[in-house]
Amino acid sequence: MPNNREAVRIELAGRIDSNNAAQVEADILARLAGKKAVPVTLDAAALDYISSAGLRVLLRVRKACTDMTIIGVSSEVYEILEMTGFTEMMTVEKAYRVISVEGCEEIGRGANGTIYRIDQDNVVKVYNNADALADIQHEREVARLALILGIPTAISYDVVQVGDSYGSVFELLNARSFSKILATEPEKMDWCVREYVEMLKKIHGTLVPAGKLPDMRETALSWARFMQNHLPEEAGNKLLSLVEAVPHDDHMLHGDYHTKNLELQNDEVLLIDMDTLAVGHPVFELASMYNSFVGYSELDHEVIKKFQGFDFETGRTFWRKSLEAYLGTGSETKIREVEDKARVIGYTRMIRRSIRRGGLETETGRAEIAFWKDELLQLLDRVDTLLFSASELEVEAVTENLPAVQSFVERHLEAVDCPPRALLQIGVAVEEIFVNIANYAYAPDKGKATVRVEVSEEPITVTITFMDHGVPYDPLAKDDPDVTLPAQDREVGGLGIFLTKKTMDDVTYEYRDGQNILTLKKNL
Amino acid sequence: MKIDQIKNGAELTIALEGRLDTTTAPELEKILKETLDGVTMLTLDLADLAYLSSAGLRVLLSTQKTMAKQGEMKVRHVNGIVMDIFEVTGFSDILTIE
Repeated sequence: MPNNREAVRIELAGRIDSNNAAQVEADILARLAGKKAVPVTLDAAALDYISSAGLRVLLRVRKACTDMTIIGVSSEVYEILEMTGFTEMMTVEKAYRVISVEGCEEIGRGANGTIYRIDQDNVVKVYNNADALADIQHEREVARLALILGIPTAISYDVVQVGDSYGSVFELLNARSFSKILATEPEKMDWCVREYVEMLKKIHGTLVPAGKLPDMRETALSWARFMQNHLPEEAGNKLLSLVEAVPHDDHMLHGDYHTKNLELQNDEVLLIDMDTLAVGHPVFELASMYNSFVGYSELDHEVIKKFQGFDFETGRTFWRKSLEAYLGTGSETKIREVEDKARVIGYTRMIRRSIRRGGLETETGRAEIAFWKDELLQLLDRVDTLLFSASELEVEAVTENLPAVQSFVERHLEAVDCPPRALLQIGVAVEEIFVNIANYAYAPDKGKATVRVEVSEEPITVTITFMDHGVPYDPLAKDDPDVTLPAQDREVGGLGIFLTKKTMDDVTYEYRDGQNILTLKKNL
Repeated sequence: MKIDQIKNGAELTIALEGRLDTTTAPELEKILKETLDGVTMLTLDLADLAYLSSAGLRVLLSTQKTMAKQGEMKVRHVNGIVMDIFEVTGFSDILTIE
């Protein structure tokens, strides 16, 4: 049965006109005989001309199959198909330009392909998978989606044939990857960390419309299920329940966020290699980052040199500094805690990957797996949740970012089971302060605002700090509105700050180091 | 936010569901501007209103002022957390709450 459903590929060559149309049709239908409802691909690479008699053949063939695609169509034939409306009736793909990457500089290598520079302005990503057209289409779609959602990225403008495989072509002028910068200009480490983390926060602050990207939680669940057969029962169950407890999250994840996928083009930082884009909790991203900078090279420090071009110490330092900046904390305990959570998923992923690639059949493979498993078991002993929240969020101070700020704050509040009444009051206060900054701090220009959330225990107190570099302005200095006046005498403004003062336990303002600093405190 | 309207001659009922905040208040303001003409009885149903900030209060206040000139406005099914906000801001005194 399965063979009967497989796509049939038929080559068209030369000319198809009234002289041979009947014969061509008979040949094609003979190939389809006995197969029901199969998709058909007509390869028109060698087709020079098709007349209306030939077009009628195409129509009849289309009726005999479920789904017809014509590929490799030359510009001349494409023009005929377009003029006659065939391009709207069926899938017609133009022939791909053929290029060679022989002698081209390799500038990046990812899980799915290798990126070469083909000339000064352009690069091509050649996919490992020979049947990569669907992958290319997917990457194009997600890159377009990311761009629309505000992530600076390069979108391929052409698909080409490279040997037996396909590639997508991007414009990338004078670009250098962050890996190259780290390898050749180590003094730029802190600058790289800053830019790298800023982009990471931007990605994680981007809400993706439901269903547009795969859910990383589902992928992680499948890894955890795979591990059930390779871990002691109790540890396996714990791993699964840890992943299950991570809530669904519609924020964007890059999925393969290491320094080879971040490019500096002139003064602009661009994200590339978008095919792993997903949605989910940031812990899954941190896991993949940990692996890129530390995990894969933990046993053999040479691995990272081959992949990133810098040494293990550089990778490890970069990871630690990035995590510190991402979490907005200098607390070694907190950094270690979040690193542990990332490592749980990181080791899980590496063990699974290695086993699936036959790791258990080689000595080095077995040694690696044993090392990772040992680390994972120790982690599973002490990690009780994969959840965490960064303490700081930096965003453009515009009202459009209000939902991002709200969900950032809510994430912290949910973690301490904040009662609904306080949740609403804090939400309202956060809105008033942030919208104030968005409307007045930098007007008519734009600027950034930083929101920091700290939760202290016993008693549980939430402290939310807003910082901006706008004009000095103390919103608390204004007189409270008279809330006893009748409606017709009421002013429309001033209520927000009043509400904030009334519902928070403490609200303070100061101007320090060129920054407006407004702090809200609420005891839960 | 979801805004449901039922118009019955000069009577208009608007049910709000979700968040009435800085980003959604302009929507409500626009709808009210388009539909209030000739309305003498406006009822706002807040049963499913989960969040209300000062941006929402401003729309409620300006609508109250408009309706005072041309008829009457009532607010009904106010839930506990929204009532809190009405009380703190004195809106419980200026709105007709059922």
